[in-house]
Amino acid sequence: MTALRQLASPTGLRSGDHVFWTFDDPADFSAAVLPYLDEGRRLSEQLLLIGTSRVALLEALASLPERDEMLASGQLEVRSVTETVDPARGLEPVERVESFRSEVAAALERGHTGLRVASDATALAQRGSVERRELHVYERLADETLATLALTALCLFDSSLGDEVLAPLAVLHPDQHHGRRETLGCLCGRGPWLSLRGEVDVSLADAVLRALVDVARGAPGEVVLDLADLEFLDVAGARMLASAVRLLGEVGVELRMVRAQRIVGRCLELFDLADGQAVCT
Amino acid sequence: MTPVRPTGEWDGRAFAHEAFLFATDQEVLDRVVPFAVEGLARGEPVLVVAGKRVRKVLAAELGRDVHRLATFAAAETWWRGGHGTLHAYDRDLRTLRATTPTWRLVAEPVWLARDEGREWSRFEAVANRCYAAMPYYSLCLHDRRRLPASVLDAVVRTHPLTWSGQAPVQAAAYEEPQRFLRSVQPAWEPRPGHSAVWTVTAPRDARRALAAVMINGWRARAEDVVLATHELLTNALRVAAFAELAFWTDHETLVVEVSDTGPGLPDETRGYVPPADGPQGSRGMWLAWSLADDAAVASSPTGTAIRLFFRR
Repeated sequence: MTALRQLASPTGLRSGDHVFWTFDDPADFSAAVLPYLDEGRRLSEQLLLIGTSRVALLEALASLPERDEMLASGQLEVRSVTETVDPARGLEPVERVESFRSEVAAALERGHTGLRVASDATALAQRGSVERRELHVYERLADETLATLALTALCLFDSSLGDEVLAPLAVLHPDQHHGRRETLGCLCGRGPWLSLRGEVDVSLADAVLRALVDVARGAPGEVVLDLADLEFLDVAGARMLASAVRLLGEVGVELRMVRAQRIVGRCLELFDLADGQAVCT
Repeated sequence: MTPVRPTGEWDGRAFAHEAFLFATDQEVLDRVVPFAVEGLARGEPVLVVAGKRVRKVLAAELGRDVHRLATFAAAETWWRGGHGTLHAYDRDLRTLRATTPTWRLVAEPVWLARDEGREWSRFEAVANRCYAAMPYYSLCLHDRRRLPASVLDAVVRTHPLTWSGQAPVQAAAYEEPQRFLRSVQPAWEPRPGHSAVWTVTAPRDARRALAAVMINGWRARAEDVVLATHELLTNALRVAAFAELAFWTDHETLVVEVSDTGPGLPDETRGYVPPADGPQGSRGMWLAWSLADDAAVASSPTGTAIRLFFRR
């Protein structure tokens, strides 16, 4: 199981970790990516930094030890978002995740211990709601894939994007650093089912609804939501799940909640969500 | 002699709620049989949920007509706590309402004879308000021989109708639901000196703080206390910038008090009103009350204080 973590520093990370990180300005951005990439350097990982422009990225890495040597040897690479995402085609979540899979294989082949990516996705999150939905789908797919690869990912977002955009994105990461906001819960795409973990209360309900509906609506049929690791749900959270069931039902997706803990079930039953919907494993 | 009119002026379009107190089998038969026969004659579903003795005498008297009853069930197995019982009952009512224009019910809440069943009177009181538009006649049977005087007193104060011998009539002892609830809730004593008191602006902080003090034999109730308190705080913080949370133990009882300086509760009975159909409508008070063992409200235009009582 992947535990939900609130990170104070972007270090102590290993393959499979998938981090959401907000920054306030270029200095704050630099302060996040430097220790993160330097840790990867010491672990002999292939390093990749993606952001708005190469020039700005290289500047952010000015004080990274062995920056120029690593750039020369190819251990470190910087890329602009436009090189990785064709604006005309959109994010193409599946394709993008697959490309990371082959980059990990290439890194291992070159003798590195894995691939460590830091990506400023602010530009992607800034676009319209359709693009944001695609970003949610991508983050979920990335989370699922990361668990199986020698890949560590730090997803960076400018804090000026605002909570409405940032909160659903944060929820799709098991490791979070969202300004001074306390990490409460996440929607995890790892394992056989989608799962809600941690705590979902009135302050997180809207964010979870957006993330959940976006990632589940793509596949008609049944989507199982595992609640075994959900430790707290309030009435607002349960009302949100009732809305998700209804919204997904309208697009042919049957959301089924399973394995709720007793106290979580008390809220679900207020919306007739619990009866007959628990499977034993 | 005036003929018996088992449902009096009731037109089948709204809720009628009668308490019938009996001490003999004959009294049960004289009241219930004409009531059931009238319903069957009018083509209304007639439901009977009663204790063993009442079922036995009714079955003997009704003979084959017992099979024409929509329900003829034992009341002994119905009790699952006040909130659990009403929630299940509420679902049945909604199902009936979706399919049936009007119906009548004979119900004997036998659990009133047990200590833990006495809270049912509060739900009986609130039913008069929340089921006002439900199109059914609820004839509630109460056995004077089995029920203590305090329960019979609550029965007559929570049913607007009583039986005159010929027809249902307004019950003189009936009280408004809110007045009844205030009279039976735990007395509002001053907080003891050893109370912990916190000012809360975010429910999540209070959850952490409460969970941390739920130790020494209270751990088994921690989840209930934390969730119930969270809901009260969430409500309080909708109407006020901050809320006060006080917390103390009194022997085997833990008391949580949430107070705010908002405009007062629009409806003090909400803790006994089952969730509405559909996802809208408040449920926080219903949930908090159902998680706690008892509750008390002190609400005025200058603020609201709610106490929840949990037994170890």
